[in-house]
Amino acid sequence: MNDNHGQLSSVLEREEDKLLACVHCGLCLEACPTYLHTGDENDSPRGRIYLMRAVEEKRLDVGAKTFERHINRCLGCRACEQACPAGVQYGQLLEAARADLLQAKARRKLPARLLHLALNHIWLSPARLRFAFASSRLARDTKLVRLLLGTRLLARLWPRLNFALALLDSSAPSLDNGAIHGEGRERLRGRAPASAPQRVCETPASESQRALIFKGCVMDGLFARVNRATQRVLEANGYAVAAPRSQVCCGALHAHAGDLEGARQLARRNIEAFADTAGAPIITNAGGCGAMLCAYDHLLAGDPGYAAQAQAFSARVRDISQQLAATGIRPGAKIGDVTITYDASCHLLYGQHASVEPLQMLKAIPDLKLVPLEGSERCCGGAGVYNLMETALSEKVLGEKLDHIKATGATVVATGNPGCHMQIAAGARLLAGMHGLIVCHPVELLDESYRRAGFYHRDA
Amino acid sequence: MVDQLISTLRAVVGRDAVLNEPEELIVYECDGLPQHKYPPRAVVFPRATEEVAAVVRALAALGVPFAPRGAGTGLSGGALARDRGVIIELARMRRLLEIDPENRLAVVETGLVNAQLSRAASRYGLHYVPDPSSQATCTIGGNLAENAGGIHCLKYGMTVDHVLAARVVLPDGSITDLGGEAEVGAFGYDLLGVFIGSEGTFGIATEATVRLAPIPPAVRTLLADFTEIDDASRAVSAIIAAGLVPAALEMVDGVTIRAVEQSVFAAGLPVDAEAALLVELDGLEAGLDDEAARAEAICRQYGARSVRRAADENERKRLWAARKGAFGAMGRISPDLMLQDAVVPRSRLLEVLAETYRIGAKYHLKVANVFHAGDGNLHPYICFDGRNPDEVKRVKEAGREMMETCVRAGGTITGEHGVGLDKMEYLPLIFSADDMDAMLRLRAAFDPQGICNPGKIIPTSRACGEARGARRPEPEAEAPERKDAETSSDTARRFAPPPQIKPGRPLHAGKTFDPEAARSRLASIVGDEHVRPVEGEGPRVEVAPARADEACEILRLAAAEQWAVVPAGAGTWLDAGNPLRRADVVIRTSRLARIIEHEPADLIATAEAGVTLGAFNAVLGDAGQWLPLDPPGDERVSLGGVVATGLAGAQSLGYGAPRNHVIGMRVATASGQIIKAGGRVVKNVAGYDLCKLFTGSFGTLGLALELTFKLRPRPSHEATVLIWAGDYRPLLATARAIIAARLLPVAAELLSPAMARALAPGSSHRGYALLVRFAGPEKTVAHQISQSQAMIDGAWCAGIEAITPDARLWRALAAAPLQVQTRLTYRAAVRPARLARLIDELESLHEGPANSRMWHAGAGDGRLRVIETAAEPLSAAGPRLARLRAVARQSGGALMLESAPRKLKEELDAWGGVGPLAALMGRVKLAFDPDGLFSPGRFTADV
Repeated sequence: MNDNHGQLSSVLEREEDKLLACVHCGLCLEACPTYLHTGDENDSPRGRIYLMRAVEEKRLDVGAKTFERHINRCLGCRACEQACPAGVQYGQLLEAARADLLQAKARRKLPARLLHLALNHIWLSPARLRFAFASSRLARDTKLVRLLLGTRLLARLWPRLNFALALLDSSAPSLDNGAIHGEGRERLRGRAPASAPQRVCETPASESQRALIFKGCVMDGLFARVNRATQRVLEANGYAVAAPRSQVCCGALHAHAGDLEGARQLARRNIEAFADTAGAPIITNAGGCGAMLCAYDHLLAGDPGYAAQAQAFSARVRDISQQLAATGIRPGAKIGDVTITYDASCHLLYGQHASVEPLQMLKAIPDLKLVPLEGSERCCGGAGVYNLMETALSEKVLGEKLDHIKATGATVVATGNPGCHMQIAAGARLLAGMHGLIVCHPVELLDESYRRAGFYHRDA
Repeated sequence: MVDQLISTLRAVVGRDAVLNEPEELIVYECDGLPQHKYPPRAVVFPRATEEVAAVVRALAALGVPFAPRGAGTGLSGGALARDRGVIIELARMRRLLEIDPENRLAVVETGLVNAQLSRAASRYGLHYVPDPSSQATCTIGGNLAENAGGIHCLKYGMTVDHVLAARVVLPDGSITDLGGEAEVGAFGYDLLGVFIGSEGTFGIATEATVRLAPIPPAVRTLLADFTEIDDASRAVSAIIAAGLVPAALEMVDGVTIRAVEQSVFAAGLPVDAEAALLVELDGLEAGLDDEAARAEAICRQYGARSVRRAADENERKRLWAARKGAFGAMGRISPDLMLQDAVVPRSRLLEVLAETYRIGAKYHLKVANVFHAGDGNLHPYICFDGRNPDEVKRVKEAGREMMETCVRAGGTITGEHGVGLDKMEYLPLIFSADDMDAMLRLRAAFDPQGICNPGKIIPTSRACGEARGARRPEPEAEAPERKDAETSSDTARRFAPPPQIKPGRPLHAGKTFDPEAARSRLASIVGDEHVRPVEGEGPRVEVAPARADEACEILRLAAAEQWAVVPAGAGTWLDAGNPLRRADVVIRTSRLARIIEHEPADLIATAEAGVTLGAFNAVLGDAGQWLPLDPPGDERVSLGGVVATGLAGAQSLGYGAPRNHVIGMRVATASGQIIKAGGRVVKNVAGYDLCKLFTGSFGTLGLALELTFKLRPRPSHEATVLIWAGDYRPLLATARAIIAARLLPVAAELLSPAMARALAPGSSHRGYALLVRFAGPEKTVAHQISQSQAMIDGAWCAGIEAITPDARLWRALAAAPLQVQTRLTYRAAVRPARLARLIDELESLHEGPANSRMWHAGAGDGRLRVIETAAEPLSAAGPRLARLRAVARQSGGALMLESAPRKLKEELDAWGGVGPLAALMGRVKLAFDPDGLFSPGRFTADV
């Protein structure tokens, strides 16, 4: 809806109060992965807010090269929000700045143009999106992608595409490739979707609760196994689970790229899709989606038709770990002798504020060898499609993450967001030579633990 | 278009390390205090000291001013480049170069973030003590520049008390090392002490060697809440007056509590309180609960509604995070904040605090206070909206009124944030034109070209036709366009050129000193009975003024007549240093013997320079306080002498050296003017800290008239463990083990057999001795005595005694050279862990009988002091000392002669030279004493 904010920099102007909340104390600097790597204050939250303020005060043109460069170089991890004593809502300011950038039609490079093309013409159409993911899966599962990667030709000719393919390849299931030893392993991937709210086991809970799963586009397209694991784990904890059919992509990619209108369109559809089951928690398993859903209230605050519903919607959103931790997590069985470390997804941590809950979920697995990861709270450089847009800086941020992972000696990294999952797995292979590293979602591990505990009977 | 400057910079640091697009420079137009905006012409990001030096050399050659910057969290507008200068940003120099847990020090690049250093050191049970609220982000370099404080400086001091050395790029681009690795490593002017807190105007520190301290084994953190802010203020004074030394004592007012409790740093502070005190006590577990109980009782006695103890480390961290996040949290209640940083004597807190709120109400502004109550360091926040010009005007008026109030109460304008650009207009409130002139001359000694962070600290814009000191800074929040226009002309400098530093006329060239004529002229000033001829090499006259104005008149006369003057107190150090070229008039401070002020609640005292340490401490003792120094020469030394020599005694391990205690001075300069340095509050970073410069200057820069000290409560108990052994090595190892075990001795002194015999004549034991002294509450001392006794194992131990009371023993140690026929006294200092090597060398070099050598050594601080008696042959002393000096240097230290026959001094420089620093020290000397009147020939840097 471009009608009420047609002029340049209008979105930022409307966020003036949020800009003014920044007192310029600088406590955010050390929380910012890009500042740590460049030392340039333009690449820090405080600096970016200052640039936004300069635009808002008309001291700086919204189309200025500097503005575009440094706003785009932000990972959007929102670690700065955690460090900010003034409670500046940086993520929302960033989206506003990017919306203004988009409006200003600043000269965009090819990758950015392609992104916006895809966001407009594929992501807004469920059918096209399904097709796109189906083709991607096909390329991935037929090992076509791996073949291409193996030639190393692409790495030289078009490293960006090469990395993109590596990301795709990394989305393939890896838990069943020998990570967890034990008898009677079944291929999680090949299993049919667990049938709807039917009770699969004895549950410790006294009465069954309803829970609605938010599937997400990437999760549904490339990580359906995690969605299934989420459902099984919820059921094993006594929930009656459903996944509304008409749900769509959460709109995070649109919002982060400044396409707030695209994000709003999707948000309204999701609100409709989840509307009929008032009160039931909306369960996510991707930090990026979860944080976005939590922000629907802000996104639609200016839409009188949806503001109230959006607020109610956002209040219902929980990460799977938060939902389970709130009511107590049913312990499973041992899953084998592997060393596991946990990397926090930024949006799960800073957007949904799930800090200890994912760890509690892992601790429900008896005797799990869980080693802490230095810098777990730092971004991995994935940041949605940042890794394909700002390749150089992303690679630096990723390099640090991989070093820390290496230092733990863990063979499995659990992380609660598909972007982080693919980034770490692709980086481990392409940059760090850690070919054996397995990346998975924490709920996959709990799911495996439950399976071994016999909670699922012989449901397959 | 790229101009010559940019291409030069790119050539030095590379293209990706220079920002010069105006759009990219916007964010560098301000620091943590965005009210002041000056866009730089460029920002450079060097990666190494050599690159910084190359950048500075290039800028110096082009005459382009520059300003160093770290994280830009400063709150005084200090890290801005005025005059279209270049910002040298150290954010890419953040390596931790070395942690030496044994010697408890770290070497870092100055772009390293404060909290990162403590984090890295925590692996060894150590931490870096200064902890400003911005520690999660601010850099060590910025801390050095501002002499940063923090919540724990009440007990542990400021940045200057924790930095041992710095590698510095001077404004001409040369690289130099200030200070030394050893505790008292470098003899000469304390250039490091005065560099720290110079706000980036003396050069750029690129590496720092900092002291690490053991993480306190035990901590108690109390949160007391009050419904009346006055009650909280009274409780603060009462805690200090009760002799408790909290590690931190902070106050948060109701407005701030409510802001913080809404923020991510919410810690469960009571939101309906009008004030909360955070009291932290640390130390050994034994006895700490008693201390905490005392603090709690005092809080309750003064009306605390509740007192809560942090149950665990997490809760403690949350409480401190709430305190440290307060500044940012205020952003929730106001778009803009004006933050003041005044310090007032603690005893005046109550009234000044009330006044800040009254002033706020008068100007219809919301005022909040969150501050270091234990130091009297107020941080009033004035809330405003910068978009409202009327409000901005009122804020400025209110701010000024608050400053004036604080100064009237005996305070200072900044305790830790620095003057920078923000408080420049307030500096004349506390310093006279002469004081500021002295500071400008010192700055010119470092920066003759006037290009290093110009336009900060001292108002100097005489070029604009305004009187110095009365100048107001330019209007704030200027439109950038206008500023660009104003400053685009590179040739028109906005600031007055620095004063010229050059030698005056040669001292009494061709004239001979006429003692008789001098006597009568001096007698006309002080009266006949206070002038007398004295023995010495060449004729001398000694004069004893009774008042400051008499001293000044004497100095003016000396300047006119070109007499060489030598300040003296008790006269112990009259022949210190290299042989005086001439000493015409000895000015004795013996009649300047008044104690001017002692306010127990403030833990400070001011006295004239002639007061003896013994007399001073006798008076302070009545209030249960003392100046915890034990310099050589017993308690009969004068305070002026203690400060002029700056030498540490055995208990400096626990209490620090004179430089850590002097907070204010009045000094008569060579021109007969009185200048003021420092102030009368425990935290003060207004202007350059000239106290540091005068401390240890051995009477070569001026005559100290009055001194103000930071005091300590007298410990309730003191006891010493005396351990005997036939060899010194196990004793040294034991001392180091006691220190490593995180016991907290105030002294750990190793004595040679002769020294031990002299100090403990009644003992039945023989051999080397180790004295370990503990001080504090009874339980704490008893615990440490038994712990350290338990640590001694092995056949080497010939005997252990616990001595209490032990005061006589330690006094005798300080007075040692006075007890025997001394011919030669010298001291050396090295990194503590290398002390054994120095002693090995000493023992192997001595020719005299082993049991006659007298020396004592500080096992904790690496200090060695040797007293040779007349019995030892002097002929071999020269080569022996040269050898020892070489060993000391190899171990990161130095060796100086305390007293020696003239013959030996002609053979051997008393200080050992200061190497590459000689030129800079020479300029500093000229800045204060251009004619070279003061103690000519004595000092290492004498020109």
